[in-house]
Amino acid sequence: ERPGSGSGVRRGACQGRFPRWRPPACCAAAGAGWSLGSWGWGAAGPGLRPARSGRIEGKIIEDVKTPTPPNPSGQCPICRWNLKHKYNYEDVLLLSQFIRSDGGMLPRRITGLCLEEHKKVAVCVQMAHRAGLLPNHRPLLPEGHVSKKPKLNRYLTRWSVKSVKPIWKRGPKWCRVPFRVGHPLLMDNINYGQKPVYLNH
Amino acid sequence: MASYTKAAQQWATFARAWYLIDGKLQPPGKLAAMSVIRLQGKHKPMYHALSDCGDHVVIINTRHIAFSGNKWEQKVYSSHSGYPGGLKQVTATQLHLKDPTAVVKLAIYRMLPKNLHRRTMMQRLHLFPEDVIPEDIRNNLVEELAQPRRIPKRLDEYTQEEIDAFPMLWTP
Repeated sequence: ERPGSGSGVRRGACQGRFPRWRPPACCAAAGAGWSLGSWGWGAAGPGLRPARSGRIEGKIIEDVKTPTPPNPSGQCPICRWNLKHKYNYEDVLLLSQFIRSDGGMLPRRITGLCLEEHKKVAVCVQMAHRAGLLPNHRPLLPEGHVSKKPKLNRYLTRWSVKSVKPIWKRGPKWCRVPFRVGHPLLMDNINYGQKPVYLNH
Repeated sequence: MASYTKAAQQWATFARAWYLIDGKLQPPGKLAAMSVIRLQGKHKPMYHALSDCGDHVVIINTRHIAFSGNKWEQKVYSSHSGYPGGLKQVTATQLHLKDPTAVVKLAIYRMLPKNLHRRTMMQRLHLFPEDVIPEDIRNNLVEELAQPRRIPKRLDEYTQEEIDAFPMLWTP
């Protein structure tokens, strides 16, 4: 069950400054973490008693010790860890923290990313899936379904494989139809080599 | 150089070397660029177009090449037989499934200089779809060249220590 927006006692203190679904920070920072079972019924709220009155126990669990990010004043995880223009489709360890087990992206309100970074991470995750770098994050297929699609290696694919049509006529050199590679959102990435990032091949 | 006889020096200079390139997960254009330099002999300081100083190039795992972008679907290989209605247009996917060496072969053929030496240089190119090579070619190989593209690691190829060393960026 999701924690509610705070018990009745604390709601008045932090009213209006947080989205409704997110508990205010004063509720979350209560020292050692509370186990989920004891969250909702800690204080005396009118509608929060369990349906059957039984024995309720609270367990104090150890907080997971995450190292402090180098820039704690950032708004999203990427800014806090100073990774703004520094990741690509190959950084699977980073991308795997923002995806579900079947490969889809987690919503922005859960991960806390800002809009542009969320879009960039989504694009990188799509490219990583198409490059085959996330083999265990596949959607569940019923039975032992064997796909008849040819398994071709690819990388930096901008569009989905099924949606792309062949370019039958590319045109003369002066007005060539280019092959689009990569994604324009990742144009601002830091490039340590001397060659620029080419998006049109 | 001073201790070699003239004949030995001449032999060492003009001998043809055999190079091996692994095409696994590599873009065929970059493989072609590397091979074309060596087939022409432009990697040698004593290159001359007429002196037939090109080397042999063996490319393995051509079945596992990787195109960047959506080129597998978008790139079209066309040929015309000369007769009306004789235009055949095939996507890179279809061509690769039909003949796994064709994509690399066409890439190299189109990158070589368009003269009569091109056919001889293509005869010195050897393509194999998997890493199975005939015995005599394997005995001739001198050097394996570095792959042009750095292959990224898959998520299951990372060790558990590396995964644990990577910090969690956000807590739920």
